[in-house]
Amino acid sequence: MAESLSRRSLLRGTGAATLGATLTAVGACASEEGGGPAGQAGPEGGAPEETFTEPSTPLSGDLRILVWSHFVPSHDDWFAEFTKAWGDRVGVNVSVDHIDVGDVPTRIASEISAGQGHDLLQYIAPLSQFEPSVLDMTDVTDEASRRWGEQLELCRKSSFNPATEKFYAFSPGWVPDPGNYRRSLWEPVGFPNGPTTWEELLEGGAEIMSSQGVQMGLGMSQEIDSNMVLRSLMWSYGAAIQDENEQVVLNSPETIDAVEYMARLFQDTMTEEVFAWNAASNNQGLVAGSLSYAVNSISAWRTSQETNPDIADDIFFVPALGGPSGAIAAQHVLYNWIVPTHAANPDAAKEFLLHYTENFAAATYASKLYDLAAWSERTPQLGGWLTSDPFGAQPVDKLAFLAESVDWSVNIGYPGPSNTAIGEIFGTFVIPNMFARVARGEQRAADSVDDATREIESIFSKWRDQGLVGG
Amino acid sequence: MSSVSAGADPGAVTAVEVTEAPTTGSPAAAPRKRLADREGALAWIFLMPSVAYIIVLVGVPFALAIGFAFSDVTAGDPSFDWVGLRNFRRAFDDPVFWQSLTNTVIFTGVSMVLIVLLGKVLANILIANFRGKWLVRFVVLLPWTTPVALSSIAWLWMLDSIFSPIDWVLREVGLLGEQGALLGSGSNMYWLGKPGLAMASVIAVHVWRITPLAAVIMMAGLVAIPRDMEEAAQVDGAGYWRRMVEITIPLVLPVAAVAALFGVVFTFTDFAVVDVLTRGGPNNSTQVLTSWAFFRGIEGGDIGQGAATALFIFPILLAAAIAILRAVRRMDVR
Repeated sequence: MAESLSRRSLLRGTGAATLGATLTAVGACASEEGGGPAGQAGPEGGAPEETFTEPSTPLSGDLRILVWSHFVPSHDDWFAEFTKAWGDRVGVNVSVDHIDVGDVPTRIASEISAGQGHDLLQYIAPLSQFEPSVLDMTDVTDEASRRWGEQLELCRKSSFNPATEKFYAFSPGWVPDPGNYRRSLWEPVGFPNGPTTWEELLEGGAEIMSSQGVQMGLGMSQEIDSNMVLRSLMWSYGAAIQDENEQVVLNSPETIDAVEYMARLFQDTMTEEVFAWNAASNNQGLVAGSLSYAVNSISAWRTSQETNPDIADDIFFVPALGGPSGAIAAQHVLYNWIVPTHAANPDAAKEFLLHYTENFAAATYASKLYDLAAWSERTPQLGGWLTSDPFGAQPVDKLAFLAESVDWSVNIGYPGPSNTAIGEIFGTFVIPNMFARVARGEQRAADSVDDATREIESIFSKWRDQGLVGG
Repeated sequence: MSSVSAGADPGAVTAVEVTEAPTTGSPAAAPRKRLADREGALAWIFLMPSVAYIIVLVGVPFALAIGFAFSDVTAGDPSFDWVGLRNFRRAFDDPVFWQSLTNTVIFTGVSMVLIVLLGKVLANILIANFRGKWLVRFVVLLPWTTPVALSSIAWLWMLDSIFSPIDWVLREVGLLGEQGALLGSGSNMYWLGKPGLAMASVIAVHVWRITPLAAVIMMAGLVAIPRDMEEAAQVDGAGYWRRMVEITIPLVLPVAAVAALFGVVFTFTDFAVVDVLTRGGPNNSTQVLTSWAFFRGIEGGDIGQGAATALFIFPILLAAAIAILRAVRRMDVR
């Protein structure tokens, strides 16, 4: 931890030195160029102008970055130029490797095991399992918060371990997970603006299935989207895997109610395809016009804007559906950036993260409004983009509802942190299988919840023994 | 001028030494052997690449897996701390481990029987004389030579829940999607969405992939059967099935057992087909030991328990290999 402490001191020193110049604002920096504290929007509807803040210490050498291949390819083109421009300016030779999202955890595990590899690695879900082998990112997070205000709680909870008081990752952005529905199918059944509650979803979806023969697509399979949507249902019913203190609370009447509801929803509105899905299946079904409703980010719709504009114009969105305990959805993507202890150039990695966060508006724009910032102040243009989509949405304010998305989005460990036990439960699909057993009629809801609780308690106990989970 | 001499050991009939006659010097001086003449050294040189390959890519990972299985190594903490049998106890307490073990045995057993049977049928076709035999042999071998990840992805599309071309054909011929249709009135079979069909699909892809290898192995056995035995039986009036049961099958059995052994090893240790097609679903109904070890160890971060799960493959596979090889030896002795 010598590096991180030393780094923290440096950043704090720099912060103190520039304090006089930053009286007015969160985020203003003495050497910032090309824009105000929050950066300037470019021409109307165009990409925002990027800003640059001089690193607090001279940088040199190489910086090797590993990131996922973004679902919105234009983001990767922008990122290549962005990293190169920063590297040229600060004297660091930056190289970026993109790999398929499914391969990232395996790649990180192998690099950590080998003790060599990239200096900076990114993934789209919490990387809590790698905590013992990564640098504490408290200094970068503190510096970002000092410059740009408070970090969103869901990002903080997805990068901070309260049991060890360590930021195992830096989380500058996230992606919401709204409901996607086909207006032409929902209009005839009396819901032109889509369902707003889980009960309306059942009512309208069943009617569409019986009158129009189009199924709904909420996965109960061993893949990431199923994990997300089923957690949303649980939270909306007042159920959760753990509480704020990282105690397992799965076995509850609320969980049983949620599981029974899903069994009814499956019987009335879905087919057995939902047990076979992979992460791309609901996107494909939606784009092909084969699903009346799915829960996904806006990327599938963006794809169909190019491949099937008629379907794209017919896809609309709704925020988290309301249940007995409220309307809550999981984040779709939660960016975690880690710097392994073996990184050869941690200073450059951390400075790059601050530069990247400072210019998050450019990342949001390049990703066609897919990526949202953890420090909301970094994207003052977002409201305008959402009400007047620069990328051809019909109508232009189709995404306006996302302005409130942070109010109904939470981290995957909600109401607790996204700890290592939550990560293993996510990776071994305990929750989708708990729902699937009942939907398939293999078990009663209470028995399935019992079995899942035993699995989950065993996982929590294991990681608690390792000191990575509190409670 | 050169001289050729047989080895001193009368049993070593194949050992032939080629030595250069001395052109100068004392006639009493022993001829100097070159490297190419030293069989012992040559044997080691030829063997070394295989030995190095096995040590580096099989031996070291295997030793590491044993070490990990008795340690608390995680994806984020490679430091080794001895935990005894704790990972094995946790694996045994895990119902998915037992489900994966059962699935692995079913998956391997059914695949092996089908691979041997279909391999034999295919081998019989391949040794027959017909026009375009070489093209057919080439095409038949393609499933085996195609990278497994690639062929599995192709099958993923073939078995897709909505867009499966197999379902389309079934609908077109009236077997699916109509009232009273043999396979149901639904528009799709959902090959990977129903536990039984998902397991059948995974087995079918495996059989499709490994049968060509078994066929080639058995083809070698079939062409080695002396022609005169077949002809003598034919002259004595033995029909096709009698010759098959009393001559062909007994003589080809040792080779079939080798094909079965390959089938067992490749099926038992396969990860790609399950990972690409079902990721162990639906509801762990196609989860096998290799995939569960991966999910637990890498995606879940618990490398110790993942290694303990993976290690369980070894004794089962070893027992199967010993049993099959012993059976082969007994057949040879007879």
